[in-house]
Amino acid sequence: MAKILIIDDDPDMILALRLCLEDAGYEIIEAESGNEGLEKVKSENPDLIVLDVMMDTATEGFQVALTLRSTDPESEYAPYHQIPILMLTAIHTTTPLRFGPDEEYLPVDDFIEKPLNPDLLVQKVKSLLTART
Amino acid sequence: MGAEPGDIANVTTRLIQIRWGAGILVPLATAVCVHLLDLPLPAHILYLVGVCILVYNAVLVWVARRLYSPKPALYLRRLQRFVLLQVALDWLSMTVFLHLTGGVSSPAIPIYAIHMLSVTILLPSPSPYIYTALGVGALAVIAVLERMAILPHYTVIPILPPGLQLDPIYILAQIAFFTMAATATVHLATLVMTRLREHERQVTALLETTQTVSSTLSLPEVLERLAISAAKALATSRASIRLLDETGEHLHMAVALGLSEEYQTKGLVDVSRSPLDQEALSGNVVIVKQTATDQRIQYPKQVIKEGIGSILVAPIIGRGRPLGVLRVYADQPDRFTSGDADFVLAIARQGAVALENALAHETLQHADKERAQFVRTITHELRAPVSGAQSLLRVLLKLRKVKLNPQQRDILARVEARFDFLAALINDLLALAASKTAGFQKAPEPVALQPILGECIDQLAHEISEKRISMAYEAPDTMLTVCASAEGLAQIFSNLIGNAVKYTPPGGELTVHLTQRTGSAVITISDTGIGIPAKDLPHLWEEFFRASNARRSQIVGTGLGLSIVKRLVDSFGGLISVQSVEGKGTTFTVSLLVTPFDKPTS
Repeated sequence: MAKILIIDDDPDMILALRLCLEDAGYEIIEAESGNEGLEKVKSENPDLIVLDVMMDTATEGFQVALTLRSTDPESEYAPYHQIPILMLTAIHTTTPLRFGPDEEYLPVDDFIEKPLNPDLLVQKVKSLLTART
Repeated sequence: MGAEPGDIANVTTRLIQIRWGAGILVPLATAVCVHLLDLPLPAHILYLVGVCILVYNAVLVWVARRLYSPKPALYLRRLQRFVLLQVALDWLSMTVFLHLTGGVSSPAIPIYAIHMLSVTILLPSPSPYIYTALGVGALAVIAVLERMAILPHYTVIPILPPGLQLDPIYILAQIAFFTMAATATVHLATLVMTRLREHERQVTALLETTQTVSSTLSLPEVLERLAISAAKALATSRASIRLLDETGEHLHMAVALGLSEEYQTKGLVDVSRSPLDQEALSGNVVIVKQTATDQRIQYPKQVIKEGIGSILVAPIIGRGRPLGVLRVYADQPDRFTSGDADFVLAIARQGAVALENALAHETLQHADKERAQFVRTITHELRAPVSGAQSLLRVLLKLRKVKLNPQQRDILARVEARFDFLAALINDLLALAASKTAGFQKAPEPVALQPILGECIDQLAHEISEKRISMAYEAPDTMLTVCASAEGLAQIFSNLIGNAVKYTPPGGELTVHLTQRTGSAVITISDTGIGIPAKDLPHLWEEFFRASNARRSQIVGTGLGLSIVKRLVDSFGGLISVQSVEGKGTTFTVSLLVTPFDKPTS
């Protein structure tokens, strides 16, 4: 079954995500910071990444996404470009019109708002995984 | 006159009018003298002179009409040449007239005074003196030519002894006294004119200062305008303003006009070590007449290097406390008088008022910004834990493997509802605070409606499909743009459409309709929801108000949404209205003025 990496510094959020996704049959790996997340990408090679937009600092989530999808051919994350990223956003953090899975703004594949809607989460994860296979 | 084309034009018009009088008076007086008084005047020539005056005056009128140019510099130059033309013509006709009425013994010699005074008014020094010399010269030439019998002599007053004009003593006496009187007259008139012009300039400058300095609340602009006004008023090009810091011990350079970089950065001025500034700050205007020798200057070498000869320092005193100093610099030493001091003090006072206003405005803006930031931080801090709690609760209630008895499930559901309410309240409070903070509101610009409506509907897509609500969205193909902010519009419509979804039971209908009606974009949002009781309709826009049927229902709501919507619609100059039947449904109608779509300038 597919392996999902959750990168989030809020342990409650991680628990909620874990319960929801394990219930749907996925294997879960956790990371509690951006750096830990990047390491685990390399060591575990997950099938999907769930990334929280705001962790310790306001830009940590963005930084992880940008690093993972870096266009630099020398980047050590180049082999992991294909892994779909689902971004967790807080409601109203950015203008709805400007924030989207748009290469120009942010290289993620989809986003979902907090608080969690379990059905919606599973639905999005499923469609992201099937799109990539 | 100074450099006001309008003033010169006025005076020349007056002169032309007077000249009509002269042109008529000369022949008239001649006729009277010759026919009634039997005086031996050269009547025909005098008539001719009168006619000539009338003719050239008419020509001057014609020229005057064609002088006007929209370019002030060009207009001024033309007017100045026109004045010279008039002066020259008048001098010519006056000279001829004097010759015809007796030359050096003409009783009309004092009329020259009129000419000299008008030249003093119209032309700057040394022109009036030159004209005086020309007048005296002309008289002298006539006297000599008549004495040498090259020119005929006309005796106008019969009782005068013949041959008077041949007597050298008589000639010298006439000319000498004429010269003295003329020169003295012109000199005094020049003094008066100089004072007049000076005062005029000062009053204009003061008026200008008041207007320009008070017309802005931006601190840098107030300071710049103040410095420019002061420099202009004293006819120099360099000025500076230094403001006191909070401790009152240092002056920092706020504005430097016409000063080199070097001079500006010579350092923070320590008030205790600058006698000039100390004296100024105590309320007196200080004049440094000679920068080379004045002991009070803190950095004399730089001042000399900058080419400053004298300095005038005026205090800028706010309500009860000094704000800083205004300095005006001149190239020459001894440039400033005590009159200048009074004047700059008046300007500085005006400036102080404007400065205090600008400072207060800045403080207000700063406080406003801080408050907005504070609200944002608090809401963020509140949201994170609430969001975490909501996520856990939702997952718990959805998990298949979790076995809960009905009461446990019910309790958890209630807790979830409470957290949902809390989250909604936090969001709404943030939106409400934002709408009340002046600085938070973004400047309106042309925004297209269709994308925003589409986005709002998309965001609710999940809820709409979950509740099996049939959604209809109609909008014209041509983009409708209104003058508003994108965030504000998004807030309005996500609120109204969100409400429609929220308060409509499953299986209901929701219609969003956009159309243009005579210059306005009209958006209607109708639902088949629970509706609003008629008695609650007038209170709908009040903060924290919820309709009675909404309160009784299980639906979570803060009562803030519509008050925020109303504020936003009002701020965009639009209209909002509601129609509803309890139990049947509700329709909200928003209308906003359409603006022609321009590419927004970034």
